[in-house]
Amino acid sequence: MLRLENVTKLYPTSVRPALDDVSMDVDRGEFVFLIGPSGSGKSTLLRLLLREEAPSSGNVFVANWNVARLANRKVPKLRQRMGCVFQDFRLLGNRTVAENIAFALEVTGKSEHTIRTVVPEMLELVGLDGKSERMPAELSGGEAQRVAIARALANRPLVLLADEPTGNLDPETSDDIMLLLDRINRAGTTVVMATHDRQIVDAMRRRVVELHLGKLARDDARGVYGASR
Amino acid sequence: MNGLGFVWREALAGLRRNVTMSVAMVLTTAISLGLLGAGLLAVRTIDRTQDLYYSQLAVQVALDEPTSAGDANCSSPTCTGLREQLQGDPLVSAVSYESRDQAYQRFLRIYAGQSILQLVRPQSLPATLRVTPKDPTRGDALVAEYTGKPGVRNVVDQRALVQDLFTFLASVRNAAFGLASIQALAALLLISNTIQVSAFTRRTEVGIMRLVGATRWYTQVPFLIEAVITGVVGAVLATGGLVLGKLFFIDRLLSGRLISNAIPAVGMSDVLLFVAPLLVVVGAAIATATGYVTLRLYVRN
Repeated sequence: MLRLENVTKLYPTSVRPALDDVSMDVDRGEFVFLIGPSGSGKSTLLRLLLREEAPSSGNVFVANWNVARLANRKVPKLRQRMGCVFQDFRLLGNRTVAENIAFALEVTGKSEHTIRTVVPEMLELVGLDGKSERMPAELSGGEAQRVAIARALANRPLVLLADEPTGNLDPETSDDIMLLLDRINRAGTTVVMATHDRQIVDAMRRRVVELHLGKLARDDARGVYGASR
Repeated sequence: MNGLGFVWREALAGLRRNVTMSVAMVLTTAISLGLLGAGLLAVRTIDRTQDLYYSQLAVQVALDEPTSAGDANCSSPTCTGLREQLQGDPLVSAVSYESRDQAYQRFLRIYAGQSILQLVRPQSLPATLRVTPKDPTRGDALVAEYTGKPGVRNVVDQRALVQDLFTFLASVRNAAFGLASIQALAALLLISNTIQVSAFTRRTEVGIMRLVGATRWYTQVPFLIEAVITGVVGAVLATGGLVLGKLFFIDRLLSGRLISNAIPAVGMSDVLLFVAPLLVVVGAAIATATGYVTLRLYVRN
């Protein structure tokens, strides 16, 4: 599903590579935690998968796409099959919950009919059925992240990339979000989640990939956050 | 197309969001296009005026006193010789003879009732060979060739006499085009700046669009449509300005005593059928090009 082959990413302004000869594979349906301190290369790895950046050397594959060699005009097709959620939710403040989810469908050219069926489905999936007409400012952090997850899933992605999705949430709300992500994963969507949250990683007992200074430090099939820090 | 409604709504929202800038952008574009239109009308008027004059203008070969005297139909050997030479000249399309008496009669007709008549006797007017050149702009060649030939008093290219008028019209045209290009630069910069501001205001939306895999149609076309609307609205306003300018300024100026009949009138059809469509096309094209370049240079897709 996802494959990195000897990927190195060197930013022009930096001496040390953000990613240094990293190789890894993620199979369809896996749940992978990407851990490591700030600056270890987690975000760079996600950006490479989304083709927000191109690797300095090595290959990145997502499904059948050779991401690094993908023509610019095909990048939207790739991103339509990847869902993304972030620490800061990135909702549009001037649109309702339902409109925020519809937005992802609208700007990828889905029909009115599809939008009318998919939006309520997604709201139900994330447990926000009654709140479709709320504005983002009226939502709690947990609810906002649920909207973001619903939006990310609206286009039925192959992979869900989550960059610190619980970073702004209290532990209890974080657990709810993790339950949701776990449910989504069990329904068949591959999930790659970058996180700092030791408790969550230890509780979930899923695959853990640790990056340290851009290098792959550890890859455990059913890991914990680790005792190193 | 599926996203047409979306793209259109976004473009209008963009224009509304930044109303003051949009108005400034439209007005600057309108003034620029209006000046361009004025220049185009001047060009058209110059062409018409030249047509009007050139069909009537001739090179006049005035004959000297001995040849002019008492020759009613160019029967003297000098006159006949000159006429045949002119008729055989490749630069000449037609030659006609005006005797001293005919010239005097025409003079009486033109200046009827004016005091200059009392000063003029038939003897002071020469007989003339009126030469219509094939190419009205080549009169000077004829002047050079026939000046000083036996029997010739002088050769006058009438076109040279009205040259001042054309020079004046041409300077009106140049001034209009000059101002139009300065204004066009201002309009260009304003459109470019507005698109940048617009793109900055919508960076969150555009960021999300890119993330969920929206194509350029969705991320960039709204900005282009914003620019095109500006260009087209500017062109419409400019046309309105030209219509008003024609009705309240040009019409009055050209019907005034000084230059009435000297310059042909500017018709409403010139403004609406010739200039207006051009302005719309130019306005839309320049706005689109500016928008495209701006997006390329300053806004990541």
